[in-house]
Amino acid sequence: MQNEYAIQTLNLTKTFTAKIPAETGLIRRRKTTMITAINGLNLQIKKGELFGLLGPNGAGKTTLVKMLCTLLPPDKGTALVNGFDIVKQQMNVKRSLGTLFSVGERGFFWRLNGYRNLEFFAAIYNVPRQKRHDRIMEVLRLVGLERSAFDLYQKYSGGMKRKLSLARTLLPDPPILLLDEPTTGLDVISSRNIREFVRSIVNDQSGRTVLYTTHYIEEASQICDRIGILRSGQLIACDTPDAIRSMIKKKELIYIVVEHISPQQIERMHSLPAITNITENNQDATGNQRGFCLELKSVDQVPSIFDFLFKEKIKLVNFQREEPTLEDAFIELTKRA
Amino acid sequence: MRDELEKIYYFMKRDIISFSTYKTNILILVLTALFGALSFAYLGSSATSQSVLSMYNMNLTTYLIIGLAFSTYLNQALTLVQKTINPWALEEVLVSPTRLSTFIIGSSIWGFIWSTAVVVVYLVIGVVVFGVSLSVNVLGTMIVLALGIGTFLGFSMIGAGILILTKQGDPVTAFITIATSLFGNVLFPPQIMPPALQAISYIVPQYYFFTCIRLMLTGWTITMILPELLILALMCCIIVPLGYAIYAWCLKTARKNGTLSWF
Repeated sequence: MQNEYAIQTLNLTKTFTAKIPAETGLIRRRKTTMITAINGLNLQIKKGELFGLLGPNGAGKTTLVKMLCTLLPPDKGTALVNGFDIVKQQMNVKRSLGTLFSVGERGFFWRLNGYRNLEFFAAIYNVPRQKRHDRIMEVLRLVGLERSAFDLYQKYSGGMKRKLSLARTLLPDPPILLLDEPTTGLDVISSRNIREFVRSIVNDQSGRTVLYTTHYIEEASQICDRIGILRSGQLIACDTPDAIRSMIKKKELIYIVVEHISPQQIERMHSLPAITNITENNQDATGNQRGFCLELKSVDQVPSIFDFLFKEKIKLVNFQREEPTLEDAFIELTKRA
Repeated sequence: MRDELEKIYYFMKRDIISFSTYKTNILILVLTALFGALSFAYLGSSATSQSVLSMYNMNLTTYLIIGLAFSTYLNQALTLVQKTINPWALEEVLVSPTRLSTFIIGSSIWGFIWSTAVVVVYLVIGVVVFGVSLSVNVLGTMIVLALGIGTFLGFSMIGAGILILTKQGDPVTAFITIATSLFGNVLFPPQIMPPALQAISYIVPQYYFFTCIRLMLTGWTITMILPELLILALMCCIIVPLGYAIYAWCLKTARKNGTLSWF
């Protein structure tokens, strides 16, 4: 039976030794400590999935990417990439992957043009000689660099360098892409272009599997099918962006702005069984308007609020339901862990 | 003005602190200076030791031109693998389906071609400007060059491997450079040194390389240098696989520790 997973980690563990300087006295003694970067990680990413990996700095995202692309050997456990073991079948793993590291310009030769740089990488990625030129031009076109193909790499902007890195990852036409923070350090427009490119060209049109690590929560929610949140080398949540948002959705908040509400009516609103808490918030209220943030027991209680306002003949000017953002979920979940 | 001077001070302080963290490198610099001084002292002595040079059946100019040309060549070879271990490029190559041996050879090949061109320029200048007389044994020269390149590539791999671990300052390259200049028969014949130092010359491959290459360029035959050639071949056969194994081990260790890109 064919493996349904493009990437599967099996109790994957990586520990580093770190020396911590103790600045006491004239002689500085360094203590050695163990840091577990990836801690018994079990993660499955299905074929064709665009999977976002979120986590604070030092969570283990880059370590995981480096282990999957065989750059770092695991201490315990293993991972299967395209069905190949990252320890025992390294060459097959490398042939299945395109990896973009967080420092996009690494490995490029500054005094060569974009085309010549890709020509070198096409050779080391075994792109057949007779197809090499067409493939290079194809990936340059895909990332929108065909007009700058013969400009020197050192003249490229940050966004262009990152696009060329993406072109390099696509060059051998791998079924799986590991994109480690591909938009870090880029301006808003370049970041959006890269995201759109990943979503539309890389994933939707070609059916590739993408592991996309990022610090930016909204970026992940915009393009990823599923999101995993990594904290201290462990996966603390793994689901669709909506499902992750709902994980912290303990209370329902609505915001209303009303006109001509009397203090007695506010008293009566307080006593409504549907409402657990009311706070006044006049941010959007003008003139004789008053704004309130109502905390409800559940979303089903919303009609009872409308009923109350109707019965009391209170004019509703504005109504908003407050959804927890993925950022709220991220902060809450990483705090809990 | 004072602010600018203070800035200069902090630039200097930053560099001194950074420099002082590379202890191996400091030791190497001190030793290189010390042994460099010794080499020039012996070079001065050799200028008056024509009787020793007559062993090689050539004048001092021919001796020095060949020594200088090929020491430049071998010193280039010695650092070739190191130059390829730019950490960023290294990681990009290591994640590609490329064998380590392909990476080493591929990264070094242009350096060898360039160095060969430089050697040719040296020799042409020697012949045209200084009237050096060469009678090249082509086959012998090719064999000696191949063995020399192999040996120094082996050293280069050992040095690069250690550099991957120490990040700056590899003692192997420094000691090989010192050994080449002092014991390698490059600028003066080791026979003018005291017997204890002469003995060191006979255990370094550079001595055999320079002896053989000089004789192959000045009309000797392979059979006449066979003992030295066989010793050089034996050393090459040991150093090349040893260098590869050390390089691969250091690379594996740096990967395991996650320090490959820490430079």
